[in-house]
Amino acid sequence: MQLDVSDREYMYSGHVGCPGCGAAVAMRFLLKALGDKVIMVLPACCWSVIAGPYPQSTLRIPVIHSAFETGGAVASGVRAALDMKGDKETTVVTWAGDGGTFDIGFQALSGAVERNEDFIYVCYDNEAYMNTGIQRSSSTPYGAWTTTTPGTEWKKMRKKNIVEALVAHRIPYAATANIAFPEDLTRKAKKAKETKGSRFLHIYASCPTGWKIPSEMAIKIARMAVQTNIFPLYEVEGGIKYTINYKPKEYPVREYFKLQGRFSHLTDKDLAQIQEMVNEDWEMLLRKAGERA
Amino acid sequence: MPRKKAVTAESLRFFPRSYLSTEANKTGSWRFLKPRYEEKTAPCSAACPAGEDIARVEILTTQGMFKEAWETILRENPFPAVCGRVCYHPCESRCNRGEFDEAIAIHSIERFLADTAGRNEMKPSLERLTSKKQKIAVVGAGPSGLSAAYFLALLGYGCDVFEASEEPGGILRWGIPLYRLPLAALRKEVAQIQDAGVRIFTEKTLSKGFIDEAKGRYDAVFMGSGHYRSGDMGVPGEDLEGVEDGLKFLQKMRRGDGLKLESPVAVIGGGNSAVDVARSALRLGSRAIIVYRRRRQDMPAFPGEVASALEEGVELMELLAPAKVEQDGKDLVLHVRRLKVTGEDGKGRGIVAPDGKKTDKIRVRRIFSAIGEGPEDPWLEPPQGDKTAIALENCLLLPRGKNPVVIYGGDLTASIKSVVNAVASGKEAAMALDILLREGPKAVESALRKFRVGGGPSLSMEAYLKGPRAERSPHVVAYPEINKDYFELARRLSQPRLLIEERRRTFEEVELRVSANIAIREAERCFHCGLCDQCDNCYLFCPDLAVLRDDGIHKRRINYDYCKGCGVCVVECPRNAMALEEEKV
Amino acid sequence: MKKVLEGSQAVAEAVRLAGVGVISAYPITPQTHIVEELSRYCADGTMNAKFLRVESEHSAMAALIGSASSGIRTFTATSGQGLALMHELLHWASGARLPIVMAEVNRALAPGWNIWVDQTDSLAQRDTGWIQLYCENSQETLDTTLMAYRLAELVNLPVMVVLDAFFLSHTYEPVDVPDQKKVDRFLPSYVPKFQADTKNPCAFGPLVAPDNYMEMRYDIARAMDDALERFPEVEDEYARLFGRRYGAMEPVMCRDADIILLTSGTVTSTTRLVVKDLRKKGEKVGVLKMRLLRPFPVVELREVLKGAKKVAVIDRNFSFGASGIFAQEVRAALCNLPKHPAVFGYVAGIGGRDVTPALIEEVYWKTRKNKLPEKESVWMGLKEVSDAARRQ
Repeated sequence: MQLDVSDREYMYSGHVGCPGCGAAVAMRFLLKALGDKVIMVLPACCWSVIAGPYPQSTLRIPVIHSAFETGGAVASGVRAALDMKGDKETTVVTWAGDGGTFDIGFQALSGAVERNEDFIYVCYDNEAYMNTGIQRSSSTPYGAWTTTTPGTEWKKMRKKNIVEALVAHRIPYAATANIAFPEDLTRKAKKAKETKGSRFLHIYASCPTGWKIPSEMAIKIARMAVQTNIFPLYEVEGGIKYTINYKPKEYPVREYFKLQGRFSHLTDKDLAQIQEMVNEDWEMLLRKAGERA
Repeated sequence: MPRKKAVTAESLRFFPRSYLSTEANKTGSWRFLKPRYEEKTAPCSAACPAGEDIARVEILTTQGMFKEAWETILRENPFPAVCGRVCYHPCESRCNRGEFDEAIAIHSIERFLADTAGRNEMKPSLERLTSKKQKIAVVGAGPSGLSAAYFLALLGYGCDVFEASEEPGGILRWGIPLYRLPLAALRKEVAQIQDAGVRIFTEKTLSKGFIDEAKGRYDAVFMGSGHYRSGDMGVPGEDLEGVEDGLKFLQKMRRGDGLKLESPVAVIGGGNSAVDVARSALRLGSRAIIVYRRRRQDMPAFPGEVASALEEGVELMELLAPAKVEQDGKDLVLHVRRLKVTGEDGKGRGIVAPDGKKTDKIRVRRIFSAIGEGPEDPWLEPPQGDKTAIALENCLLLPRGKNPVVIYGGDLTASIKSVVNAVASGKEAAMALDILLREGPKAVESALRKFRVGGGPSLSMEAYLKGPRAERSPHVVAYPEINKDYFELARRLSQPRLLIEERRRTFEEVELRVSANIAIREAERCFHCGLCDQCDNCYLFCPDLAVLRDDGIHKRRINYDYCKGCGVCVVECPRNAMALEEEKV
Repeated sequence: MKKVLEGSQAVAEAVRLAGVGVISAYPITPQTHIVEELSRYCADGTMNAKFLRVESEHSAMAALIGSASSGIRTFTATSGQGLALMHELLHWASGARLPIVMAEVNRALAPGWNIWVDQTDSLAQRDTGWIQLYCENSQETLDTTLMAYRLAELVNLPVMVVLDAFFLSHTYEPVDVPDQKKVDRFLPSYVPKFQADTKNPCAFGPLVAPDNYMEMRYDIARAMDDALERFPEVEDEYARLFGRRYGAMEPVMCRDADIILLTSGTVTSTTRLVVKDLRKKGEKVGVLKMRLLRPFPVVELREVLKGAKKVAVIDRNFSFGASGIFAQEVRAALCNLPKHPAVFGYVAGIGGRDVTPALIEEVYWKTRKNKLPEKESVWMGLKEVSDAARRQ
């Protein structure tokens, strides 16, 4: 069965993403949905490098590279300039990693969303500061090894729920997406494009290098994250209306964790605890979506 | 004072701005593993004795390319309308989808395609070799003879088929009842074989001397005369009036004779012929009882046939062996010995022995024997112990130096006595003969090996004619190799059938037509194991955009200038139509 | 037309006249009047511009980098802590060669919280590639802001217009506000030399390896040189239209001075009076007002100072572990001259402490008395702290 995704490409080959890079796949799908009337703000992240060293660029759209924490702010400025110039066609998109979104960039993101700046903020999430060498971020999931949470100090804090944080701002549109579900991703990107005000897309992008998985498993693991309820696909409109977009197969979380080297230290007891945490979060989401009393 | 020109040129020459694409960067040099497209063999096509390219047929069906799908079958089997109805479909037993939810109803789709082609009077365009000077004689216009002639015609040989009865078809015309195979469907496919250049001479019974007389006129003779006699029961009273050969009864039925039948009747045997006789008898108004020496599950008849028979009201008496037949007025009394199961052989078939001295009597008006079939005449039997004979999977070759080659096929030699095995033997004979005539008898077995599907025993004529199927890897795709993430559970189509009451009173076809919608939906359930169906997953998920669409055979190719060998395409191919190998340094 | 304006209001008027398109600022005392004024202009239609009420100074500069990269005239203002927070992005703005103009109100850095005038904040950013101009009064502030846009867009470097906290930002003075039509002749609509454009896509600020980065940095250096070279021309044109010019520096009574007092900001105004008085007493003294700090006008400075015996630099700032920063700049400019005046460095007015005429006079007499400076930096007007108090 053929997946229904546009044919046009807005990226060139020859970029230096790792083999199997989920972030490259995510960008490819996003641009297929948004087209070429886009100005992209690109704060420091893996894509700062993937986008190509001077004088090369791997993207067929204009890009403004920016400092790490400025994704939300630079985009606000770009939008203001375009509005003053009477440009109603161009979409301003910030493309940031989890570091530049959840941590150092959170202030600028929150500020921009609170002002309801008219732009799309896309966070491609590989769950650590991958560009600088796999250090933990607040997006790193509970249980993960990173270079700053090594050995017995594996991350014992839950992954920050960025969508919920933005929903608290009553953001007009926020959604999760996943590279293994390209039709869902492109539908949401198109929907974001048609919405006014601040929009947020949280795209799960596997990282073979940082997660210690074989490169060929990048998509499979992304899909497994959804099937195990670890990364549910849902959208929130107006900060109020929750819709769950996909009813997963609800495999046990073990199926997801056992495939990845970054979780190889977890015991059965840890996995049982994680299963409870995932179940709890899923129940909460179902309630918000009105699918549970 | 004149204004100085803008200073841009001087101090804005080197500026952090990128304006060239990254395409200059050939990341293919990173690779240590290399993906490529590699179509493999689907288990169904390996299981099919005729080696039909089933997965490909299903792909074409999903695309609505019914004519092309039908032609794909015809390359390997001239009888899709027949096989779609009467084959025991070993393909469905090996179908990988069966481990996921339910096997694909391959035979329903095959029949649908053949019926659609027939209804729309489609004419196939098939690859053929140029005409050759040799001529081949075929004895018997049954499925094996007609198949042999058909395939020989594709290979460029002129064929004359000699048929003893008044119409070609063999067991398809004179054995299998109408409720399984309507006449119109058979006649269309025979006509197509004739269109391929095969000449059929009916009402020509050949004598023993034919083989010797053939020298000078024919370069080879194919013996496809089949089995038209049931074996003897070997019990006293079997030559009483009312005790008949079951196969002869079926032949009379197909001639329109034997329309009146007494009741009840007993049918001795457990094969398809026995079931055919019983179900036909039932439709003539008789109570039909099958008497079989083993258990239901041991019956060699197709399980679907047995189930249908029992649904319709045929009775089955298990673990009984005939001992004696006696006349009692208008009735016949069949004395039977009771048997019991003492164990099972390696294949799970019951081993039986007399159950003490227990006996029974069954009072009937007619008895039909349908056990141990054999050829009409002894001269039609293949010789035993000839050291020069080449024994292949489904046929036997006798190269006889300057004399015409003689090949025995069909029921005379096939490993399993079925229509599709007859087709397989005809194909095997045709290919073996072609090799023998060009390269000599010693080349036959090794040459044939190249064209075995999935390692054998089935053969592919398409591959023999150097079609794209020749490039396929013989690796048979197993269920664990399918990426099940891309499939949802779905019910198998349910074939509509006549109601049981209707079935009992008429010889109308029991299984009814399915619509194109249903056929396509069923074909979409097919995994298409090992074949590329252009789902585009490889193209879509490549992080390096290194899969390009083009007009080549797979409609896409890998751009090795940029492919980093990550392997995502290979894993995301739902059907193992790709391979990942070490990059040669 | 003549109005009585605070320094803050003068900035706002200039921004209005310059036809700025996007303003992005975060409030911090004593810059607040600038942003409040501009906010009002944007709200009531006096200005056709977007005002982004960002959530920090760092984001203010980030937003302007975005706007300027998209091809529009931009403005922000900040002070003290705010400027310090922007530091990373000041480097970015100049590296990206964006003609952003910022009003920077000199304010002391914390801790302890101090909202009064101190130049350490702007001088600590002297390495960031921004052109820096130090203003003495409201008229100059307005004029300098307009000139800043012209200069910035000429050489593609950002410009910082620096004014003293409270003494300039919050002090009312008569200001001649030029007519819009005349300003339009001096400063036509902005035509960017590059911008983010979907019709001609390219990537700004990508990864640059050692094999190319140095040339980009050299081009910034060249742009600074060009700025110095073109500066008089910009002033000439301004003078022609509006009858005012200020120069990279303003020497007053320096030609025959033995001792030249070197000052910047509002201290200059006080020093002018002191020098007048001293001259009446027969002292051969002059004052040199420093206006352009970056690019540093080495040649002109050497020319002005070469005849003097001593130069006394009054720094309202300090680079800890070294000296007052203007003094450092002056020393660096003079050291390769075979014969040059001795440089006496004085630190005064730190954290908003008053620089009185008496203090300036004390600087003069100290300089007059000693052949060579007793120390590299002499801190003026420090309180005596008793031993007892120190032990507390």
